[in-house]
Amino acid sequence: MVSTISSFCGVLLLVCAVKAQSYENSRCKCVCPSISSVTNSTDISHNTRHFHIANVPPNKCNCDGVILPKLGDKIKGRENEFCPRCECKYENRNLTIIKVVVIIVIWVISILVIYMAFLIILDPLLNKRAKGNYQEHTNEEDETAAGVGGPMSHNMSVRGNVLNRVGHQQDKWKRQVKEQRRNIYDRHTMLN
Amino acid sequence: MEKFPLKKGTSSIPLHTATTYQTMNKKYTNGSGLSSVTSDDSDMIDINTSGGGDRNSTTRSQDDDDGNLQYSVGFSGMHESADIPGIGQYDDFHTIDWQRDIARDRMRHRYIVKKKQDSIWSLIEGAHDAWSGWLCVLLVGLLTGAVAGVIDIGASWMTDLKFGICPEAFWLNQEHCCWSLNETNLDTGNCSQWLTWSEVLGHSTKGAGAYIISYLFYIVWALLFAALSASLVRMFAPYACGSGIPEIKTILSGFIIRGYLGKWTLIIKCVGLILSVSAGLSLGKEGPMVHIACAIGNILSYLFPKYGRNEAKKREILSAAAAAGVSVAFGAPIGGVLFSLEEVSYYFPLKTLWRSFFCALIAAFILRSINPFGNEHSVLFFVEYNKPWIFIELIPFIALGIIGGLIATVFIKANLYWCRYRKHSKLGQYPVTEVLMVTVITAVFAYPNPYTRMNTSQLIYLLFSQCGISNTDDLCDYNRNFTDVNSAIEIAAAGPGVYRAVWLLILALVFKLIMTIFTFGMKVPCGLFIPSLCLGAIVGRLVGIFVEQLAYTYQKNWIFSGECSTGDDCITPGLYAMVGAAAVLGGVTRMTVSLVVIMFELTGGVRYIVPLMAAAMASKWVGDALGRQGIYDAHIALNGYPFLDSKDEFAHTSLAADVMQPKRNETLSVITQDSMTVDDIEQMLKETEHNGYPVVVSRESQYLVGFVLRRDLNLAIANAKRMVDGICGQSLVLFTSGTTIQALGPPPLKLKKILDMAPITITDQTPMETIVDMFRKLGLRQTLVTHNGRLLGVITKKDVLRHVKQLDNEDPNSVLFN
Repeated sequence: MVSTISSFCGVLLLVCAVKAQSYENSRCKCVCPSISSVTNSTDISHNTRHFHIANVPPNKCNCDGVILPKLGDKIKGRENEFCPRCECKYENRNLTIIKVVVIIVIWVISILVIYMAFLIILDPLLNKRAKGNYQEHTNEEDETAAGVGGPMSHNMSVRGNVLNRVGHQQDKWKRQVKEQRRNIYDRHTMLN
Repeated sequence: MEKFPLKKGTSSIPLHTATTYQTMNKKYTNGSGLSSVTSDDSDMIDINTSGGGDRNSTTRSQDDDDGNLQYSVGFSGMHESADIPGIGQYDDFHTIDWQRDIARDRMRHRYIVKKKQDSIWSLIEGAHDAWSGWLCVLLVGLLTGAVAGVIDIGASWMTDLKFGICPEAFWLNQEHCCWSLNETNLDTGNCSQWLTWSEVLGHSTKGAGAYIISYLFYIVWALLFAALSASLVRMFAPYACGSGIPEIKTILSGFIIRGYLGKWTLIIKCVGLILSVSAGLSLGKEGPMVHIACAIGNILSYLFPKYGRNEAKKREILSAAAAAGVSVAFGAPIGGVLFSLEEVSYYFPLKTLWRSFFCALIAAFILRSINPFGNEHSVLFFVEYNKPWIFIELIPFIALGIIGGLIATVFIKANLYWCRYRKHSKLGQYPVTEVLMVTVITAVFAYPNPYTRMNTSQLIYLLFSQCGISNTDDLCDYNRNFTDVNSAIEIAAAGPGVYRAVWLLILALVFKLIMTIFTFGMKVPCGLFIPSLCLGAIVGRLVGIFVEQLAYTYQKNWIFSGECSTGDDCITPGLYAMVGAAAVLGGVTRMTVSLVVIMFELTGGVRYIVPLMAAAMASKWVGDALGRQGIYDAHIALNGYPFLDSKDEFAHTSLAADVMQPKRNETLSVITQDSMTVDDIEQMLKETEHNGYPVVVSRESQYLVGFVLRRDLNLAIANAKRMVDGICGQSLVLFTSGTTIQALGPPPLKLKKILDMAPITITDQTPMETIVDMFRKLGLRQTLVTHNGRLLGVITKKDVLRHVKQLDNEDPNSVLFN
């Protein structure tokens, strides 16, 4: 399952690397008031603010490095007035991590949902056929639950093949979940 | 903090262990001396105390060497008793015996030290054993940091999925989608690459139609996420619901809840947390992070048998993991360590403190390098403050503390009432429906108000931050003059935007308070930190704006004239928001030290420690005065977990004789050391339900030999029947070490190695206060009560808890216990 996910991610990475050219891993974001606040003092539009985003090294992330190359000619002579009012912030991110994490999350959720659907819809049908077998397991578990613990059940499972062992583990787990459900949803003894 | 003085003996110097071993010997020889005497002395029954004392002292000196031998055999047998599977483990819903587990670990350690000289391999094994604690917390830290990063990134992406999608790179949230675009609209944060759902469907962004479509999509997505979360929890891991901190507290105090820290719980808690946070419910992911970290700690501790097989030792790892959980939740490593120490841990020696420190450090480092929020910090609402505060502001800060305490009390009372109602009424039978109903109500009422529509963490960030040039929210709509260059921000009259924001914030406060009451305790993973921080931040910001406008209006007044006359921004509403947040969180959880440290690690400034301390203290006082318990203790009491709180004092005058079992007219079930057969014992196990049985010399004398646990007895008998030939119902069960020559009948079953020869005993006149203290500080599971040296009864932790409940006029049967 892990290999499928990783290969899937690999393919996605390749596909998306071409598409996501415009997405950088770092930026310098400056917020300034509109230029009119210094050039034309009569116009009172304080509240319109402008983003200036540039991809510069962190030490150049300030008014001199970002704003002046862009607006230098418009605010000539008033740099000292305009610059203190700009706030610049250097931010970085890792696109690969974000992509991988989100894809993993989607995968995990879909697998869980599919498994849940399987347990709700298909499992009762399958179990009806294998009911005798299932009964036997229950009895064994009762015995072990009475106190004999680990190796006993281990011995049992050695007998069967891998499939049986997986089924056995699954049954054991299902019983535990059923017990938890009874504690929480029916008897309300815990986690209220 | 060392609650177990005995534990000091576990130093790695072999010589030292040898001495403790010797001193413990002296204690043990007493018992073994007695047992060797009784065989020739059947009329010791009526022996009086003075005579008995004499006799004992003489036999002790005689048998000293012999006793030594017996003890070492007994305990090395304990080490090898791993051949009986399951010895030393506990059943579900049982309390652990700290003393016994720690003694087991000491013996294991001694064994390893002794074997070290044998071969190189043993030396390596010894070294591995010595550093396995550090290795384990290192792994826990690494994994916790990574999982927290996944949850943060996943939740922030999925939260924005409610609003729209980034078609070119669907895995990006809105901010990351608009990362390098200049044209981003500051009001909505929107850009051309990010499509809202109405745009996806081909409508414009403006207008009533677009609003309705967005509204509908918001509700549908919220419903989908909440339904998924609730049904995953119900289907795969019901233990993943709730915050988990009350249960973690109980587990760390020595309770076993099987599966609570298991693999499925971990997976479902992570996934369910992402989903329920994204659903926009009024909950946070910080509390469950502690549960997640503890589950990781539990799973990883199985890689190291030293911790995986010893419940008392495992709790050292879990304490460290809890610290890592808070460390990643708030990006506050030291706060995490203190949280573990103050709030969740029960047993916290210095060694655990250092390990917690290391674990929190690693986890914070990993999360910081993942950088989930792109702000170089591990939380979204990190703010950096270096504004000074003036002395007179302490008054509003304390007032905030009082308001915080009041809000917290209202919240705790109402939430507990609702949880109790859910527990005892039909409502509890519809967990998924309840989640869906709450989600619909939350979504419908949250969307129209921009402050509740946004992610709660973002709202907290907004409330915490100062009004600068980059902040265009209504909250910062002051009539400021931007033309003056040198003072960028100054105190100013509030504009209409601020008043609008104030009204919306008041609505948001009421809404959040009500919704959180109904949300906390639903059957989805949900934490409490973020909603309470948010409530407090709203209140704080409101008070802050009020004080700020007061200072602006009365600039010339003597109160403000000193600092505010320069026109500088002397009152910072963001700081008030922070103090208010601390106050409400402090009132809800009753944390003090760890809370203040978490808050100042969040703000990156030590300057505000005094305001935060004042608010936290005021809120704790108000909270303690109005309601006795914090939310976690209240939930522990509601669920009846067997948690013996070390904060409460026992102020009654009862004696051990009043509490012990059996009561009058009942008989104490005991095992005799050498006269019962396997059938007798099995019969007794069937007829009684006690979890342990005292072993006595004989029924008539009732002289105590030791204590044996029901589970161990079961396991040992079953094991012997399987492994040893000739054991049948008529075999004698011997708890003595003497080799009685028995020509006739089946071979005896020797069970000395499962016998605890050092049970803690008290006399029947011991005051309960002392006994409660012993249970708390030594972590006992039971103690035996004697009178004139003869066994009289047993007091278990359950008896103590029931007694405490009874004296507090609560229902003693509510204690959850097996």
